[in-house]
Amino acid sequence: MEQSWQLSNTSLGIAFLVASFVVFYLIGWYSNRASKSVADLYIAGGTIGPLANGLGMASTYMSLATFLGVTALILKLQVPFVYMWIQFILAIPLITILFGTSLRRMGAFTPAHFVRERYGKTAAVVSACWMILIMLMYALGQMIGIAKAFETLLGIPYAYGLAFGGLLIVGYITLGGMYGASYNAAFQMVMMGIAFIIPLGAIMKAMGSSGWWFPPLLYGDMVKSMLEVAPDFFDPKYGVKWYFALIPSLTLGGIGLPHLAMRVFTASSLRSARAAMVWYALILGMVFSATYTMGFAGVYFSQSTGTVISPTDADKITIILNLVYNPEWVTALVIVGAIAAGLSTLNGNLLAIGALVAQDIISTLKPNLAEKSKMVIGYVAIATAGIVSILLAFKPPAFLVVSILWAFGLAATVSAPLVIMGVWWKEANKYGAIAASLIAGLVYILVSPYVAPSITLSGDALTDKLGLSGALLSAPLSFIILIVVSYVTNRIPSLAVRIPRHETEKLIESIHGWSTVNPMRYNSTAGAFTIAGICAVLVIWALMPW
Amino acid sequence: MNAYKKEVYSTIILTILFILAGHTGLIFVLFAPHGLKATFMGFPVHYIVPILTGWIGVVILTLVAGYVGNQLDEEIAKDREVDVKETTSVSRTYSRTTA
Repeated sequence: MEQSWQLSNTSLGIAFLVASFVVFYLIGWYSNRASKSVADLYIAGGTIGPLANGLGMASTYMSLATFLGVTALILKLQVPFVYMWIQFILAIPLITILFGTSLRRMGAFTPAHFVRERYGKTAAVVSACWMILIMLMYALGQMIGIAKAFETLLGIPYAYGLAFGGLLIVGYITLGGMYGASYNAAFQMVMMGIAFIIPLGAIMKAMGSSGWWFPPLLYGDMVKSMLEVAPDFFDPKYGVKWYFALIPSLTLGGIGLPHLAMRVFTASSLRSARAAMVWYALILGMVFSATYTMGFAGVYFSQSTGTVISPTDADKITIILNLVYNPEWVTALVIVGAIAAGLSTLNGNLLAIGALVAQDIISTLKPNLAEKSKMVIGYVAIATAGIVSILLAFKPPAFLVVSILWAFGLAATVSAPLVIMGVWWKEANKYGAIAASLIAGLVYILVSPYVAPSITLSGDALTDKLGLSGALLSAPLSFIILIVVSYVTNRIPSLAVRIPRHETEKLIESIHGWSTVNPMRYNSTAGAFTIAGICAVLVIWALMPW
Repeated sequence: MNAYKKEVYSTIILTILFILAGHTGLIFVLFAPHGLKATFMGFPVHYIVPILTGWIGVVILTLVAGYVGNQLDEEIAKDREVDVKETTSVSRTYSRTTA
C-alpha cells in the first residue's frame, strides 16, 4: 500500500528552516561586506584557505541529489548506480592537476575566461553560452529538489514550495557573492555531514546493524539479510561498455563543470588549492559512502517490509527512512541538511552563470565597461538565472538527478576538451575549438532522447536519458574535431595568419609557470594524434550495437 | 629528466591512477562480469573494493598529487631561472657581437 510521506509537525520544520536561513543570510552578508571588485564577487579575491575551500568544494559538488536523487536511483539501479556515483569524487582532483592550478596562476574567473584568452572572443561566447545552458540544467535539478524538500518540510504544495523556497534562496545567493558562497558552503558541508551521517547511524541501529557507529563502511553484517530479501542487489547488471561510458560522460563532464573549476580559482595559493583537494576527497568520500549506505538501507527497508515507494516519492527515500526510524525533529534536521546541500550547489551554479554572462559574454563584447557596471550586471545575471531556474522547475522531470547527469555529458563534450587541449597543446586553435564545441555539442543533443527519441544510441531508456551513450560518442568526437581542425587550419596560411601564435605560446608557458617561451614545450603532435586515435576507436565503439 | 617532462609524465600517470581508483568497478566487471562470491568486511569484494579505492584510494592520490605538484612548482622555478640566465647571456653575447 502506498503511503504519504510528510512531516506531521510543520512548526518543527518552520523553526529549523527559519534558524538555518537566518544563519545562511548572516554568513552571506557578513562575508560579502568586503566584496568590492568582480574578482571578489566571483573568486572571493583568491583568498580562501585550504580547509574552508576543501569543505566548500565538497559542499558545492555534493548537490541535493546526494540527499535525494542518488538514493532514488540506488533503489532503481542498485550496484550500478553505486559504481556510477563513486567516480564523481574525481572531478576536483582531475580539475586541479589537469588545469585548475594553471588557470589559477592565470587569474581566471571561469573556464570560459581562459577560453577567451586562449581562443578569442567568438570561442569564448560560444563556450559561455554552452556553460550557461549546463549550469541552468544543473540549477534546475537543485530547484526541483529544494521544492520537494520544502513540500515535505512545510506540508505545502510543490509549486508553493518552489516559489517560496526559490525566491528565498536566490536572494541569499545574490547577497553573498563568492565570499558568502565559500563560507556558507563550508558551514553547510559540516551541517550536511551531521544531518546525514548521524541520523543514518540511528537508522542502521534500528535495522539491527552492529556497525551503526560508522555508517559509511560498517554495514557488512546486514549483507546476508539483504541477499535474502533482494538476491540481485550486488549484481553488476550492465556490461563493460556501460561502465566504460561513465568515463567520457560523467568523469570528463565533472572536469568541464565551470562552478567546480571556480572553487579551485578561489584558493589563496597553488599549495592551498592542492591541500584543499585532499580535504575535499576525505570529506566527500565519507559522505558519498554514507549515501550508498542510505541507498542500501532504502532497498532493505522497502524489500523487507513490503513498503511500496511510489515513483514520485523515490527521491524522498532518505526522508522516508528518517520518518520511519527517527523522531520527527531529526527528520526536520535532515530536510534542512538536504536544503543546505541544494543551496551550496545552486550557489555555485548561479555564481558561475553571473560570471559567464557578465565577464565572458558582456565584457567580451563591451570590453570598456566600468568595474561597477560589471558588478551590477553580475548581480542581475545571478538573480535572473535563479528566477529562470525556478520557472523551469514548475514542470519537473520524473527523477531530479537525471537532468543533472545529462548536463555532465554536455560539459564533457563542449567544455572539457577545449580547456584540457588548450592548456596542454599549443597547436589547438580557435577554429578547432569552435568547430568541436558546436558540432560535437549538437551531436550530443541530437542523440539524446529529449530531442529526437528515434535517434538514440543504446536503446536503453535510462542509459540514453542519463547521456551515457551520447557522451561516449560526442566527447571523443569533440577531441578529434579539435585536434584535426586545429592541425589542418594551422597549415593553411590564410587562416594561420589570423591566429596570434606568439601570444598563445606565451600564455601557455606562463600558466604552467615558465617565464620564457620554448617551442619544444606543450607542442607534441604525436601526443595529440595519439589522443585523436584513441578517441576514433571510442567513436566507432559508441556507434556499434550496445 | 627536466621539469617539463616531469610535469607532463606525472600529469599523465596521476590522471590514469585517479581514473583507475574511481572506476575500480569497471575492472571488476571486465574480469568478473557477474560479480564475486569472495567477501571483505562482510561485503562482496566487487562492491566494497571500488568504494574503498574511490574514497581512501583517491585521498592517498590527492596527497601524492599535492606533493608532486608542489615539488614541480619548485623545479619549474629553478629551471625558469636557468632559462632566464641563458636568454640574458645569449642576448649579451649578441649585443657584444653586434656592437
